[in-house]
Amino acid sequence: MLGIAVSSGADFAEIYQEYTKTQNLHFLDGKIDNISDNRISGVGIRAFCGTKTVYACTSDVSEAGLVDCARSVAGAVGDALRSELEKIILTPTSHKDIHPVMIDPFAKEMKAKADLLRAACVSAKEYADRISQVSGSLGCVERTILIANTEGLFTTDDHTRVRMAVSAVASAAGENQSGFFGPGAGMGLEFFENNDPHDIGRRAAAQAITNLDASYCPAGQMPVAIENGFGGVIFHEACGHSLEATSVATGCSQMAGKLGERIANEKVTAIDDGTIPNAWGSVNIDDEGNKTQKNVLIENGILKSYMIDRLGSRRMGMEMTGNSRRQSYEFEPTSRMTNTYIANGPDKNEDIIASIENGLYAKSMGGGSVNPLTGAFNFAVSEGYMIRNGKICEPVRGASLIGTGSQILMDIDMVGENLARGQGMCGSSSGSVPTDVGQPLIRVSSITVGGRS
Amino acid sequence: MNAILNEYKEIILERARELGLSEYEIYYMRGDSTSVETLEHEVNAFSSSTGGGISFRCIRNGKMGYASTELFERDELRGLVDRASENALFIESEDKCFIFGGSESYADVGENKIDTPDASLMRESALGLQERTYAESELVSYGTQSNTVAFSTEICLANSHGLELYNKIGLSAAVVSAVLKMGEEASDAYEYACGSTMEELGDLPKRVVDEAMSKFGAKGVKTGNYNVVFSGKMARSLLSTFSSVFSAKNAQMGLSLLAGKEGEVIAAECITICDDPAHDGFSNKTAFDGEGVATYKKNVVEKGVLKTLLYDLTTAEKAGKTSTGNGQRGSYTSSVSIAPYCFSIEGGDISEEMLLSLAGDGIYVTELKGLHAGADAVTGDFSVESAGYLIENGKLGGAIKSFTVSGNFFELIKNVSALSDKVDFGLPSSYKVFGAPSMLIKGLSVAGE
Repeated sequence: MLGIAVSSGADFAEIYQEYTKTQNLHFLDGKIDNISDNRISGVGIRAFCGTKTVYACTSDVSEAGLVDCARSVAGAVGDALRSELEKIILTPTSHKDIHPVMIDPFAKEMKAKADLLRAACVSAKEYADRISQVSGSLGCVERTILIANTEGLFTTDDHTRVRMAVSAVASAAGENQSGFFGPGAGMGLEFFENNDPHDIGRRAAAQAITNLDASYCPAGQMPVAIENGFGGVIFHEACGHSLEATSVATGCSQMAGKLGERIANEKVTAIDDGTIPNAWGSVNIDDEGNKTQKNVLIENGILKSYMIDRLGSRRMGMEMTGNSRRQSYEFEPTSRMTNTYIANGPDKNEDIIASIENGLYAKSMGGGSVNPLTGAFNFAVSEGYMIRNGKICEPVRGASLIGTGSQILMDIDMVGENLARGQGMCGSSSGSVPTDVGQPLIRVSSITVGGRS
Repeated sequence: MNAILNEYKEIILERARELGLSEYEIYYMRGDSTSVETLEHEVNAFSSSTGGGISFRCIRNGKMGYASTELFERDELRGLVDRASENALFIESEDKCFIFGGSESYADVGENKIDTPDASLMRESALGLQERTYAESELVSYGTQSNTVAFSTEICLANSHGLELYNKIGLSAAVVSAVLKMGEEASDAYEYACGSTMEELGDLPKRVVDEAMSKFGAKGVKTGNYNVVFSGKMARSLLSTFSSVFSAKNAQMGLSLLAGKEGEVIAAECITICDDPAHDGFSNKTAFDGEGVATYKKNVVEKGVLKTLLYDLTTAEKAGKTSTGNGQRGSYTSSVSIAPYCFSIEGGDISEEMLLSLAGDGIYVTELKGLHAGADAVTGDFSVESAGYLIENGKLGGAIKSFTVSGNFFELIKNVSALSDKVDFGLPSSYKVFGAPSMLIKGLSVAGE
């Protein structure tokens, strides 16, 4: 197939085959109400001519289907198909599996999975009388891939991940507020041995109650302390996407051309590491077959590295960094984040809170988005508290934080010591992929808080 | 398609019989898509996909089990039936489930006119759009892209009651995404349009470049309460984000504040929202929903009154009503889920200019970013990064950015003062498409400087 794909003049071709099992149990209104159970299966063939690409994918994995797919790639590259195919020698490579699975979720009986999910949701419902509804899900994915290319690479990988998510709704006086917690990891059901489903449920419920009792957040510019864990979404949106070759290589990033320059406060060191064992965003190899790496993106405020896939590497003249990812064979891969976090810094957490006279403590964050070209980003606060005279006070809700990536990186002026990571799904041109975000408690000296005025 | 599908059906039905299943349904989708991307003055990427998947669902002991696959080998198809049958045993919900025998009649929605441009026409149009975009201004820079896309999907539903339904939907469209640079400042804008030829798409480059140009030098705004006009494009984004509040399932589960409000006033009198499964402007019309129930056009909100929520068979049975034909299957990987079709707010009777003059002084919002995170359909709250223009003395003023607009959707629709007369529709996604006119709301919270 590779020979066919390059038979009309492409200088490189790659085959990506995938067979993925996904299973998602859903719980609502006190009962398991749906089980989704899917098999994703197909092949994507990609060819390069310099920095031009052709991609074809199909779910027809019969020999005829694959030949058609390869031919359509060659046909799109050029009209003259060489009849004699280039001989390509594939050298199988293997790699150590640094994300072992102890309890295969697809081998485990359904009852056990249902019990885990029920435990979380029932705990959430029983947390308080005002919890009016709870929904939850337990998702399992097992992805098997095969990658081969005209450079002789031939490799396979198996990857398993699980995630539980609980959404709780608290109601009073005709009003609803919600709370959410969704932890997961790149491992099997052993994840729940150290992550008690009861705690997961209670955490979601507690957030819903806090929000129900909260008043609306005021609007304006103020200092904000962002807690650890999913708070790391600030870096993911404000800076992470702008460091992916996806936008850097086409001149659509605020951070293009800035290697070696100061782009952040010197207390900020930021890392993207796809090798953290069993982390949600980790994989052994990326979706072009390269081993993932620990990439130091920013060191003490200086930009050290971008995240680069093969196409980005060609466009930018830089080495690949093991960051090429895609949602499935239906997408062409591009550079994406894996586990991205701000490292621990020099400040004490209590000093961070104490330093704020009038501001916001963002204890928990929702998602967000960014325009890497202008750096304009946004993200939602899912649990927040006012800070007055250095003390955390009453809860507030309905806030979002907006700003410009380049500015906010300079305005992170205190970095604490309790690094933790949170799980999310990141969307971009190559689809939705699991990523971790993380940081310790940090302080942003000034940010626009979107609330009610 | 039918010959291949019959082959799969035989294998599936054989296994269903072996397992003693008597109520089941196959949902099969198969599609092709092509896209062409340009960068600078060349085609830089070309991609195509072909394929599909099949879903099997069955009722066992009164519960519905689902499974799907994209691998069409014999063992896998037999396994598909086994998995769905097994999954049914673990469903605890006591809601009644249905494999539907068929509606008495189905509307004649006409065939979807699907454009199938060949690859060379798609290349020509993408390059043509790119050239026009660059020609619009010297400031158009590297990173600017004009892309064309075309796809078509066949859908087949067949069940144990002998119901067999078939549909084909598709779309050709282009998107121009322009990056402009003026010194240190960068500005961008993008827009989609349906069509495949330069005649149909030709004015897209000018609109996109004009929009990007107008955003240079955008300033901040002071925090405060403002009269806000949402452009039609933004009004439909809000409608799309909050469309799930009209789902009877969400209402019955306590996840929508519209529960129990059918027949009541929930919006301003100027608001009428229509759900139309066969809007002539789009090639994703359907006479049947994902359960095989006949679809029909209806006003969900009429002059501010909630006429009906959207129902599928299960929620209708629970409420003592009939299905509104909104039980959709987004894909063979998803179960039946309530969703609207062409869902649009009817236009008002004043022009956009009149609407702005009614606003007096305020803000015209043309961008809402992060709606997926900054809005919550369960609570109705939203707080979203925005951009747009000032409205000064009833006319559009300078560009503004980096502010948030916050509010609550349920309050917002009650407080709409006026609507313009032109409805802006988005691009269809599966069976859904949203539309709205520009809307004026007085006194919304804005956070900025």
